[in-house]
Amino acid sequence: MNADSSSPAKQPSPTAENGQPDIVLECQQVSHWFGDNKVLNNVNLRIARGQIVALVGPSGSGKSTLLRAILGTHPPKSGQVVMDGAPYRKPHRDRGIVYQRYSLFPFLTAEENVAFGPMLDQTSIPFRVFQFPKWRAQRADQLRQAGELLDQVGLGHAKRKYPSELSGGMCQRVAIAQALIMRPKLLLLDEPFGALDESTRESLQLMLLHLYQENIDARAKHQPEPHTILIVTHELNEALYVSDRILGLSQYHQGGSEGATIVYDKPAPIFQPHEERDHVRFNQQKEMLLKSVFSDEFIQHHSEFVSFWSEVASERQQLSH
Amino acid sequence: MIRQPISGSWRAGLGLASILLVMLLYTALASSRQRTARREQQEVAQTRLSELEEQRVDLQRDLETARAETDQTSRERGVEQAESGLQRNAEETEKFEALRDQPTKVDRTVPSWSMLLQDGLIRACTPQGAFERKEIWLVEDFKATGLRLLTSLLVGILCSVVIGLLMGCLDPVDAFLMPPFTFFSKVPATAVLPIFFVVIQINFSMYVAIIVFGMLPSLAQAISASVRKDVPEELIFKAYTLGASQFELIADVIFKKVLPRILDAARLQIGPALVLLVAAEWMVAGEGIGYRLRLFYQRTDMTVVFVYVFLLGVIGLVVDYALIWARRKLCPWFGE
Repeated sequence: MNADSSSPAKQPSPTAENGQPDIVLECQQVSHWFGDNKVLNNVNLRIARGQIVALVGPSGSGKSTLLRAILGTHPPKSGQVVMDGAPYRKPHRDRGIVYQRYSLFPFLTAEENVAFGPMLDQTSIPFRVFQFPKWRAQRADQLRQAGELLDQVGLGHAKRKYPSELSGGMCQRVAIAQALIMRPKLLLLDEPFGALDESTRESLQLMLLHLYQENIDARAKHQPEPHTILIVTHELNEALYVSDRILGLSQYHQGGSEGATIVYDKPAPIFQPHEERDHVRFNQQKEMLLKSVFSDEFIQHHSEFVSFWSEVASERQQLSH
Repeated sequence: MIRQPISGSWRAGLGLASILLVMLLYTALASSRQRTARREQQEVAQTRLSELEEQRVDLQRDLETARAETDQTSRERGVEQAESGLQRNAEETEKFEALRDQPTKVDRTVPSWSMLLQDGLIRACTPQGAFERKEIWLVEDFKATGLRLLTSLLVGILCSVVIGLLMGCLDPVDAFLMPPFTFFSKVPATAVLPIFFVVIQINFSMYVAIIVFGMLPSLAQAISASVRKDVPEELIFKAYTLGASQFELIADVIFKKVLPRILDAARLQIGPALVLLVAAEWMVAGEGIGYRLRLFYQRTDMTVVFVYVFLLGVIGLVVDYALIWARRKLCPWFGE
């Protein structure tokens, strides 16, 4: 059943120094409904620091509802969402988001968009008004940082352009930079590449792989992984390619009339940025996903394909032997 | 054909042609008015001349009758009387003949171009007044009206922006203010003028109050609607994830996003504001554009009126373009 064919060295190791999983986010019995329409039913989920998790599911399965609950803009009607041990019901600078549309502030240039977070986060309006000279100095610093980040995502030439002058792919790169500059504990990506053409999509997926590579490098140096990402997508290939763990949210399970829940949770194959995409490696897991998550004819108990944490545990046991 | 674009020179040519046509029509109307005025004067003169002719015949007869008088005293008196009558008759005839041949009457309802220049523009630009205090009408009037307009626009737009943003952002404020605003935006502001005249008395702040009353309900509603329609919730959530406070969200995100809409909505309010101001001045002011228009209306003298109307149009255009320019400068991201 192990869908991951990569070597143990590349295996995700969602563990802190003490060997226990370093859980960033936890959904506890999260349920949500709109009137009579039950959307989410007892969703339980833990995400460890450094994971890049893909969330897939058929349309109408409540992916966006779960994402909004995790973001904090639309708290669940029952159950709770916990970050680093603290429950919350509001959006916060620790949780970044990149939407498919309206990702950028249209009245700011690319550079200002990226520097917008530090400005809002580190300064207040009274400070900017009454201590203008200090603010000017700080602003120059923030813009410089933003510029460096834009250079890193390959948009150094477009710093002074407004979003309306950028292509869709460039906008999403800026949006990711805008979220990353905040160093969020969890970065949420809501169908971030859904509106892009194939080649742009691939280059942005590559960008996510580079982020994952930074995690691996940090792990090798025994530093905390910088990026924890939850990406919602309807593209199974994309989910398998960019993530190290795949979650399936679906209403097609026993008790599905009460709402969707997590019906699939397994490690995903890990690719390095320079590696070729190996579709053969995808196929086995893709078929399993299509059956367990997307098929309304295949109804099973919701925990049947949820084995991520037990696989991690057995993996760790094997390693320790 | 339908929606077929035309070249720039065609467009300019057609625009110029329409302006020339308007000027031509005005010239034709003015000269026909002048002709009518002269013809009427000629007709009056002609009627008078025939009366004078009849009078002359009578006087001639009186003279002959007087000369035939036997009594010397009454003959001399009769002749003298008739002769002086004839004298007056001749003088008057000469005068009316001159009027009939070269009528002098001018029409001031649709003045000719030279009258517009001489009696309109030049008169309005040179100091006028019978007493010590001479004033240049154009300067005095446009200063008075301009000050009233600028002050009220400033106050009105500022209040509308604050209230409109609050209405758009906070549902309680919207629920509280929407009913009166909806109602008052339907009341024609000119109908409320008498109430302002009586309640506030006629002073500077009354004009400001009138215009603010006229523009606030609709402008605040337009801004509030724009906040609700033009700011996608994603941007608001995003700002929260970037650490924005409530106040920063309003000032740094929502206000900046709807600023071009505010400038456009404010631009559309300037016309109605000027209508209200001129109407109020027309009724009660002792100075200003409306006041001057009323004075000349009462004399049925349109020379100055036409000059003022033209200048108001020019100022409207200038302000309009200034605001469009401001929008381009302040919101370069907004495009056209």
